[in-house]
Amino acid sequence: MDFALNEEQLMFQETTRQFLESKGDLAIPRDYMNGKKQVLEDLWNGLGSLGFMGINISETYGGLGLGALSLVPILEEMGRSVVPGPYPETVAFAVPLLEAYGSAEQKEKYLPEIAAGKRKFSLALLEESGELSPSAIQLKAEQRGNEYVLQGKKILVPYADIVDTLIVPVRTGGTSQAEYGISLILVDCNQANLTMQELQSIDETRKLVNVSFQDVKVPNTQLLGMENEGWAILETGLNHLNAAFASTMVGGIERVVEMSTEYAKTRQQFGQPIGRFQAVKHRIVDMKLALESSRSLSYYASWAAENNAEELSEAVSMARSFISEAYIKAAGANIQNHGGMGFTWEFDCHLFLKRARSLENHLGSPEYHREKIAVELGWSENVIPEILMS
Amino acid sequence: MDFAYTESELAFQKELRAWLEENLPEGWLEGKRVIPEDDNQKAAFLRDWYRKLAEGGWSGISWPKEYGGRGASLMQEVIYEQEMARVKAPPALNIIGTAMVGPTLLQIGTDYQKERYIEKILNGEEIWCQGYSEPNAGSDLAAIQTKAVKKGDKWIINGQKIWTSYAHLADRCFLLARTENTGKKHEGITAFLVDMHQEGVETRTIRSINDRRDFNEMFFNDAIAYDADIVGEVNQGWKVSLILLSHERVGVARQTFRLQKQFEELVELAKSMKKNGRPLAADPLVRQNLAIFRTKTKALLFNYYRHLTNTIRAGRPGPEGSMDKLASSELGQEMLAYAISLQGASGTLWKGDASVDQNWQQEYLRSFAYTIEGGTSEIQKNIVGERILGLPKDIKY
Repeated sequence: MDFALNEEQLMFQETTRQFLESKGDLAIPRDYMNGKKQVLEDLWNGLGSLGFMGINISETYGGLGLGALSLVPILEEMGRSVVPGPYPETVAFAVPLLEAYGSAEQKEKYLPEIAAGKRKFSLALLEESGELSPSAIQLKAEQRGNEYVLQGKKILVPYADIVDTLIVPVRTGGTSQAEYGISLILVDCNQANLTMQELQSIDETRKLVNVSFQDVKVPNTQLLGMENEGWAILETGLNHLNAAFASTMVGGIERVVEMSTEYAKTRQQFGQPIGRFQAVKHRIVDMKLALESSRSLSYYASWAAENNAEELSEAVSMARSFISEAYIKAAGANIQNHGGMGFTWEFDCHLFLKRARSLENHLGSPEYHREKIAVELGWSENVIPEILMS
Repeated sequence: MDFAYTESELAFQKELRAWLEENLPEGWLEGKRVIPEDDNQKAAFLRDWYRKLAEGGWSGISWPKEYGGRGASLMQEVIYEQEMARVKAPPALNIIGTAMVGPTLLQIGTDYQKERYIEKILNGEEIWCQGYSEPNAGSDLAAIQTKAVKKGDKWIINGQKIWTSYAHLADRCFLLARTENTGKKHEGITAFLVDMHQEGVETRTIRSINDRRDFNEMFFNDAIAYDADIVGEVNQGWKVSLILLSHERVGVARQTFRLQKQFEELVELAKSMKKNGRPLAADPLVRQNLAIFRTKTKALLFNYYRHLTNTIRAGRPGPEGSMDKLASSELGQEMLAYAISLQGASGTLWKGDASVDQNWQQEYLRSFAYTIEGGTSEIQKNIVGERILGLPKDIKY
């Protein structure tokens, strides 16, 4: 029995924290919010030289060849600092999928660049319906000669404005409802004529973009995995990615627990530090308990991802459903604990609340994940009501 | 990160499992798990079970071999709790003796005390209880007023204790009494080993909301203890009580594992109950709630494993046990309440008329004690806030 990070992983944690502090900690998201997109380049270069872009990339391609658990400490630290940018999408979606399903040519092309911090990925998943189901994938990819021609629209694509490559689930065959017929295409943004519409979101640290594909031509060689068999690959990738988001959220919860604790020790009212009052103290303890459970569930999810355990889907859905709600609650309580100051733009409390909200329904709402748990555990009918699929 | 048990841990688990299959009361494993309601029958049942455990070498497993234990490792103790929870074994009557009094005497007891008590604790010849809480000293335990006054080599004890589990069945009591009034609550307390079979000691069972009588009041009217019955030094009882607590190595292991089991039973319940001709487990809202309970019971287990990992690495348990206690007691309450809700209009029927299994109603009512006994949730939250987070101490008088 050993349910803790190992020494190397703890070292990653420390190094990441030092690195992010040297870059300004919460000034990083602040700068990004103020329009300095350059901060992402600085971050990526720095993470690349630390070797943290290649944690789970095999050594052949310039990585460290480690597993999902070794990403956990880095992701937690990024969550602590509400770091912007598609780090989860790149290391916890693109990398595991390229490693497992990429052609030799694709691996050669992408993995060394990712490891060096020179390439960012995102996932262009949702379409008009906003739903996370096979029937929602309607963007057409028609094969013409040795090219696919893509026609359609993806919405709410994180950081599409700055990434180098999008992984795009498209429909190459099958009926419009079926899992069969979905394929994953790697679209290099500088090679394609994409129309981007940047959106305003309350979480200004996560840029969301609508992307239109009008006769976008992509070489056949950009198909990731087997044609028409992309749904299962997508699900594997989403498990890794959701485990990663869970870890970033744990970092965020940890930070708001610390903020509240510090503030409650120093802020005085009625001649006492407010942390002496049980109404405040016990609320912070509730936050701490939620943090403990969140961290345990996120460790378990990444453990399952690293070991490709049978219970991977369930572990990930438990982590995502619990942690999404715990983060929103803890971030809200953190504002309350800070009183009026917590309501100001100047104090950092709102950064966490907004990040929590923007992740809540990203890649599956808590309800969606809970229904998935029920299905995974085989509780009666194997039917996901449509209403829960969004 | 590794959840697997080692070869020797697996062997230990297998041995215990085999023993339980052989020795649990008849029909127990098949689900006939009813402990007699009649107080005398219940006492006989619990004594029998404890004797069996002791004879099989399954009581006081963490005790050193030279004293009749197995010298069990921390992981073996955890596995022990896991297996006991898995089969929902009846409570071990002398748990206070084996888990707390015995190890404390082995650590700081006199030669006489070891000679006189140790063996009889383990074999169940003498059942122990713990005289701590008083009517005016609950959460504020150090406020105890029961007095012991020295007279020659005797101590004369007067006062009242309450909430003492199994006092009515106990032969001996590990008692905290005030031997000096210095004005400071934690000073002047002494720990005594008191004979329950004497004229000056009277016990009265308390009827609980679940119609059980497991808790007691104890009245001490010129009860007698001797110098030789003092554990540690006179007036050092508070320290002794902390030593006693430190022997609770596995924390809420039993409750944590029991909740895993109860969750499985909750799912079975939802599958068997019907609404509009469909199993409740097919109802979207019920599924949502079950998924929440699944997640929380798993989180509880993994929290426990993480804290256990800390304990193994540090060599002793830290204050994290308070978080486990808080979470397990609150979750237990929530889950049992839901089990009653699921049973609909007949969910309040109990005992012989219960519509599914009377243990649901029994345990639902019992669960209201979870968040009170062993330190209320409010006290646990103070411990977590102050000792783990470092928040300012509560206002105390």
